[in-house]
Amino acid sequence: MDFLLNWLVNIPGFATPFALAAMGLIISERAGVLNLAAEGFMLAGALAGVGLMIVGYSPFVALAGSVLAGVAMSFIFAIMAASLRINHVIAGLALVFFAEALTSYIASAEGWTNQAIKGLQPILLGQDIIVYATPVLCALVVWMLNRTRFGLSLRAVGENPAAADAAGIDVTAMRFMAILLGGALIGLAGGYLTVVVSRIWVDGVIGGRGWIAIALVIFARWHPWRVLVGAVLFGCIEALIPRVAALGVDIPKYFLQMTPYLATLVVMVWAAARGTDRWSQPAALGQHHIREERT
Amino acid sequence: MDKTAMPVTPTAKPRLRLVPLLEPRQRVSDRFNVLVYMASLAVATALSVGLLWLAGVAPSDLGREIATTAFSSPRALGSVLAQTTPLIVAGLATAIAFRSSFWNIGLEGQMILGAIFATAVAVWDIGPESLRLLSMALAACLGGIIWIAGPAYLKLRLQVNEVITTLLLNYVAFNLLLHLLYGPWKDPVSSFPHSAQFEPFERLPQLGWQNLNWGLPLAIILAVVLWWVFSKSRVGYLIDILRSNTTMATAVGVPVLGLSVASILASGAVGGLTGFVISAGVEGRMTQDFFSGYLFSGVLIAFLGRNQPFGVVIVAFLMALLILVGQSLQVFFGVPSALVQLVQGIFIICVAASEFFLTYNMHWRSAV
Repeated sequence: MDFLLNWLVNIPGFATPFALAAMGLIISERAGVLNLAAEGFMLAGALAGVGLMIVGYSPFVALAGSVLAGVAMSFIFAIMAASLRINHVIAGLALVFFAEALTSYIASAEGWTNQAIKGLQPILLGQDIIVYATPVLCALVVWMLNRTRFGLSLRAVGENPAAADAAGIDVTAMRFMAILLGGALIGLAGGYLTVVVSRIWVDGVIGGRGWIAIALVIFARWHPWRVLVGAVLFGCIEALIPRVAALGVDIPKYFLQMTPYLATLVVMVWAAARGTDRWSQPAALGQHHIREERT
Repeated sequence: MDKTAMPVTPTAKPRLRLVPLLEPRQRVSDRFNVLVYMASLAVATALSVGLLWLAGVAPSDLGREIATTAFSSPRALGSVLAQTTPLIVAGLATAIAFRSSFWNIGLEGQMILGAIFATAVAVWDIGPESLRLLSMALAACLGGIIWIAGPAYLKLRLQVNEVITTLLLNYVAFNLLLHLLYGPWKDPVSSFPHSAQFEPFERLPQLGWQNLNWGLPLAIILAVVLWWVFSKSRVGYLIDILRSNTTMATAVGVPVLGLSVASILASGAVGGLTGFVISAGVEGRMTQDFFSGYLFSGVLIAFLGRNQPFGVVIVAFLMALLILVGQSLQVFFGVPSALVQLVQGIFIICVAASEFFLTYNMHWRSAV
């Protein structure tokens, strides 16, 4: 019973970063931008959060800084992927590498590595306010995508950019904004990981969670609510890893640490084998829109 | 859409502004290609030098540092070439996959599996001693192939994005490596988390010049073979068709599936070989971080070398120089070690962004 309670209490903390990052990804991918840069945005948010805490700001300021850092990093990606129309895969990879390097450089230059910080305090049932805000944010994203003119334009750009362009929507601007908006949420996800969960910065602290979030989006077929389900599933796995020993099961430590990655692969294979992705994926995902010559 | 219905007020003055119009380029001349490439390298170099200046390394110091690191003595040049060897193999592994449009981001995982397989042959004393080194190399290739086979199958059969699958497998491979090094393969002599020292016949023999071993000639031979395959052979020609237009390639009877499978598995094999070259050549054992940074370097080398084998060799040399200069700057100027990575990051962003100028022709037109 103690074990179960202990496990359950820890799930939301692990699930929240996945949920936030995947929601951010959905926003940019519904606008047709194949966003492989999530890991980079998360690193930026994570470092900004830790840095602001170490400098002496409150956790809320730190998380706000994470959001801004995510936006700043996504700005570079947006210039490459939306404005310059670089292949989204190349732009995403280049950005992840750049973000890894930049965060590692800043962290070591400022001496922020391996410094413990205090972190955000829980408010109710052992959970902090971001955990409670996540479903609300999810509802907001659903409302924005499905009930607002902005969301309609955003989805139009992701499904049929040529038609959207003909209807007077600025495709480039729309994608640019979708990337920034997504970057804000992904940056927050990164900040949550360090400010609330790990409470410390080490290089590569995100540990592939940005990539897992990308897989979650595919698993959720680009729908925000289903992403919450997937995030809780992965939260369960991650929260279980440190507690398996308490169950008396003898699995070598490093095999346990493989489980989130293996689970992600299983989820991707399952999603692909189901074969419905072709219909749920935004039709123009990863495609550039070039308006032909006009006078 | 509401805007179109808005009545145009006659008093509103037409405001002249310039808007860019993009036109996809039909063909790019070699001259323009080189020009854009050089310009992007120049921008990246300028940014990097500026950044170093901010970090306290003046350009004159930097120049002296580069000259000392590479060309002050045969010994210095030897060190750069020794560092170049695994980078060439890593760059080739990535370039093979990129050439057939398979985004292999799993180089580190393939390196780890390659090293694990090679070390298994060494630790378990498989085969006669005279063939040990060869069996280790072949085992390393096999390890790399096994690690890339899953993503290849998923990509070709179920269209699962290979960027994510290959990348996630890096984490799996890393945990497998740690399990072995902290468990069964821990060094029995020192009980440090690295494998036991390889026997002399399990290590790449020395060349006899400086501290270079046979890894370098092997890497160059591999580059020459790949150059022949890509530029001279029928297979290379078919791969070019495949890359430029898969639909057309299928229509004209190119064995698309077979070629893709072969290129992807070859990329994995060379990735595994990279692990072998480092373990059996540089370290003489399997360590827990021999692979770190190679994914990044491999992608950048393939990218800057335009997936051409000789381009890879040249860029690998420059990358080795950068790494060693970075190490010495760290010692003498106290610059953080992540600096090398940051310079690499700046280069990859600049070169990626320059693709725009090769792909599109931009006109500025006035719009009202």
